[in-house]
Amino acid sequence: MMLLAITVSFSAFTALSLAMDRHQADLHGKAAATPTRRRAWRWLGWALLALSFGLCVVDHGWAAGPVLWLGALTISGILIAFGLYPFRPRWIAPLAWALPALGLAVTLFAR
Amino acid sequence: MNSTPNASWHTRFTAVFARPWLGVLSRSMAAILGGYALAATCAMFFAVALPIARGQAVLTGMLVAIALCACAALWAFATRTALRAWVGILMPTALFWLGTAVMRAGA
Amino acid sequence: MKNGFRQSMAWLHTWTGLLVGWLLLLIFMAGTASYYREEISRWMRPELPRSTVDADVAAERAITFLQHKAPQAESWNVSLPDPRNPAMRMFWRNPESMVKPPAEGEKRRRRGGGRFGDATVDPNSGQEVAARETRGGDFFYRLHFDLHYIPVLWARYLVGFCAMFMLVAIITGVITHKKIFKDFFTFRKDKGLRSWLDFHNVSAVMALPYHAMITYTGIVTLMFMYLPWGVSVAYPKDEDAFFSEAFARLADIDTPSEGRAVALPIQQLLDSARAEWKGADVGGFTLYHPGAANAVIDIQQRDGKRLSVDTPSLRYNAVTGALLEASPAAGGATQTRGVMYGLHLARFADWGLRALFFLSGLVGCLMVASGVVLWAVKERPKHAKSGKIGFGLRLVDALNIGAVAGLPIAFAAYFWGNRLLPLQMAERSTAEADVFFYAWGAALLAAFIWPKRMMWAWQLYLGAALFALIPVVNALTTHAHLGVTLRSGDWVLAGFDLTMLAFGAMLAYCGLRMQRWQPALSAAGKKRQAAAKAQQHAGAEVGA
Repeated sequence: MMLLAITVSFSAFTALSLAMDRHQADLHGKAAATPTRRRAWRWLGWALLALSFGLCVVDHGWAAGPVLWLGALTISGILIAFGLYPFRPRWIAPLAWALPALGLAVTLFAR
Repeated sequence: MNSTPNASWHTRFTAVFARPWLGVLSRSMAAILGGYALAATCAMFFAVALPIARGQAVLTGMLVAIALCACAALWAFATRTALRAWVGILMPTALFWLGTAVMRAGA
Repeated sequence: MKNGFRQSMAWLHTWTGLLVGWLLLLIFMAGTASYYREEISRWMRPELPRSTVDADVAAERAITFLQHKAPQAESWNVSLPDPRNPAMRMFWRNPESMVKPPAEGEKRRRRGGGRFGDATVDPNSGQEVAARETRGGDFFYRLHFDLHYIPVLWARYLVGFCAMFMLVAIITGVITHKKIFKDFFTFRKDKGLRSWLDFHNVSAVMALPYHAMITYTGIVTLMFMYLPWGVSVAYPKDEDAFFSEAFARLADIDTPSEGRAVALPIQQLLDSARAEWKGADVGGFTLYHPGAANAVIDIQQRDGKRLSVDTPSLRYNAVTGALLEASPAAGGATQTRGVMYGLHLARFADWGLRALFFLSGLVGCLMVASGVVLWAVKERPKHAKSGKIGFGLRLVDALNIGAVAGLPIAFAAYFWGNRLLPLQMAERSTAEADVFFYAWGAALLAAFIWPKRMMWAWQLYLGAALFALIPVVNALTTHAHLGVTLRSGDWVLAGFDLTMLAFGAMLAYCGLRMQRWQPALSAAGKKRQAAAKAQQHAGAEVGA
């Protein structure tokens, strides 16, 4: 479940970054999305962050859970900001879909 | 200019202290030495003043003192003059010190 | 000061960061390595067998060993083996009467002759571990707050001073970073100063809770040393009472009785504790007055789900098995401090969480490194007009190279030393530590002699080579190399070798970028370049 939490926070950060002008421009050229669309990304992003928090607490309890969540955010954020946006921006959207699916698969099969 | 030979000794004297690096040094001393003193007296005051178990009060005082020391450093450099930096740090220190003495005398 | 709050905080951030940045790099790197101190220790003693026996069998063997080795001791303390650490550490305290005065020039703490004794015992054999003498990962752990070669007290004050500077740097950094949300994911590469600033910002913000936590809790771990006056005013006559009250400790032990008695089998005592705790496991125990009629055993719970470093303990009469007392409930401040200390040590972390802590520590190292480099990058154009590098910038350049590129060399050299130093040499663990500092000293010296970009590249490449070759050196000197460990699924040892390869690759990449870096052209330079290109095209058209 830890992998699922990390991958969900990756997607959360992807969504939140898409709510910003600058990263819309990175991916689609001049700010491609409308303010409504961007607001939708922002809501989705926060919702996914909350989901990943919940997953961390379910897996590790209320003590270590939040600690794990912050760690998940760190690794996702570093991957997106240092790895993907500068070098492989085209990979971000597909990964944002594929990674949580992978995380879910691992969680279900590991049981 | 204040350091010209025609300026009064008084103006030349104060001009020395207007050198920027002295201000920085002064604030740094206030932040480091004053900040440590503030943290120390804060820990002491909390230890004797908090209306909870002695051991818990001591621990709380230490935890708060660390944060207070950091704040003192910020104050020392954010405030308008070096003098204000010292006053702003030494006054609470003195108050904590007095407070501790009062609490100990009363105990 | 200056103009505006943000600006003065920016100034403060620069100087609190720069003045202690190089020492902070040492502290941060050693501290980050400490997350895997047990694993490092295992790799550094490849002779240690892998399999773990049942905890009760291990405990029994520990008792047998101690009865043999330290029958006269006032107390025996045993840490039972756990998945991360298969060997048992034990400590004992000898009675005052036994302490012999130290011989001329001899250090006080010699085994058997001093007040305290310790041993590392292999639970499989019940004998002391027969492995090369090394401090293993404990060297890094101690390094990051006790430093080295200087009295421990001075080191801790110095480290605390740096930690306080770092705390101020973190707070002022957040205050100064105006676009902290807008630039959350922003890293613009290949843009010189802009890129360094982006890198510094992102590495700081992405692990900001971690950085703030590790710095503040680091100071908390040594706060009794830094702020002792609270204790002395609240406990003017009985400072020891503070420590019992504050840490929910069990009461002090009575003096040993004259009568002798045989204690119950250790398994029985440990089982009573487990029953009392409804299943929670035992981490270790301390047996007071072994052999006496009033022998008492304190059994400690294993670090587990709880964050706090204080684990509950139970006290039993070792002869009758009666439960004497349980550690009292901890007060709010005690719990807070316990959790803070626990967060710093991260003993509670499982393999996944530990990896994330380690990653965050590395990000912290990158943050500090990019900070000190950023200062130099920003400062350099100011010296371009005069054509000569000023003293301050040269000093910073040298320290930057020596710390950012030199420290990895030292870390790798330490591991090389472990594999290459003769197994039977005297003072071997001291020698291993010396290797670390010789390597670092050499890197610093080279950096001071030639603080230029190529020195960056050479040192980074050297670090890369040293790290990448560790698995090779391992294979040439031991039987615990990747060929064996990958096949047997020994992920601790295999993981170590693989991590060394990864660090080698990372450092090589950094070296390559340093080597290939082109300075940005000034406006005049760009004009010249454009003119040269135009001339080339004109020439090509004419068919020269």
